[in-house]
Amino acid sequence: MEELNLEALKGEWVGVEFDTAEFEVKEAAMVDWATAVGETDRRFTDPDHSDFQAHPTFTTQFVSRRVLPKGFPRLGRGGFDGGKCVTLLVPVRAGDRLTGKSMIADLYEKTGRSGRMIFLVHRMSFHNQAGERVSTMDWKLVQQTREPKVSG
Amino acid sequence: MTRAFASVELGDDLPEVQPDVSMENVRLFCASARMPFGRFTDHEKARAEGLPGAIVPGIMSQALLSALVHRWSPGCRIENMDTIFRAPVLVDSKPTCRGVVTNTDPESETIELDLTIVNEAGETRVVGTAQVRL
Repeated sequence: MEELNLEALKGEWVGVEFDTAEFEVKEAAMVDWATAVGETDRRFTDPDHSDFQAHPTFTTQFVSRRVLPKGFPRLGRGGFDGGKCVTLLVPVRAGDRLTGKSMIADLYEKTGRSGRMIFLVHRMSFHNQAGERVSTMDWKLVQQTREPKVSG
Repeated sequence: MTRAFASVELGDDLPEVQPDVSMENVRLFCASARMPFGRFTDHEKARAEGLPGAIVPGIMSQALLSALVHRWSPGCRIENMDTIFRAPVLVDSKPTCRGVVTNTDPESETIELDLTIVNEAGETRVVGTAQVRL
């Protein structure tokens, strides 16, 4: 089986924007989300609060139409969600229309008890209708490699 | 009331919280997040997928940690939240959310926190860090 060259893959795919999707932020969903996680700060649960806004990681629910770019090689068998990192820049408000743009932000390898794994960081950058960047979400997708070795 | 930066010290523990991850609550979360998947909302369907039971969505675990931070310091602003989902948190279990102050930056008046969710056996299921402005 052909050996994966991680550096070559990075050079070809990291930084390439491959999807754009739009999302509507609904007040009821904002309240239900915050209520379900036991939020006690009324900024997130009370639409009448003067600073009512979405819970900090609310944008993690928004996913692009494609997880990977068209033509991206299959790296391994299955995969799992390794975690999410959210950076908040501007509060998300009820009624906002967000545009999410997707790119591969990084590719790296780690070796653990279950063997070699490739971490693919799928980054979505969200802008509101005013063009302000409101948040960035890095989604770490972990794939166990089929190949015995990854070079690069 | 907002917590004063000067009152926060390295090593301070956030008050622990035992979040409600009952099926009813997880279903409410999943509906709000448009994630109507059986592995989150139905124990039998989750078992059919090889899981020990329905699991709490990772993004719900992350949001539970945000709520922990807000409970500790109402009015604070979470600027960054980075979580790793090490193992599933089971629906209808009794997990505990914990946090500890790991850094304070007087110049920017920001705090760094280490955050965890552990299960009843004390096993860590979710780990994370947050950067918070008071």
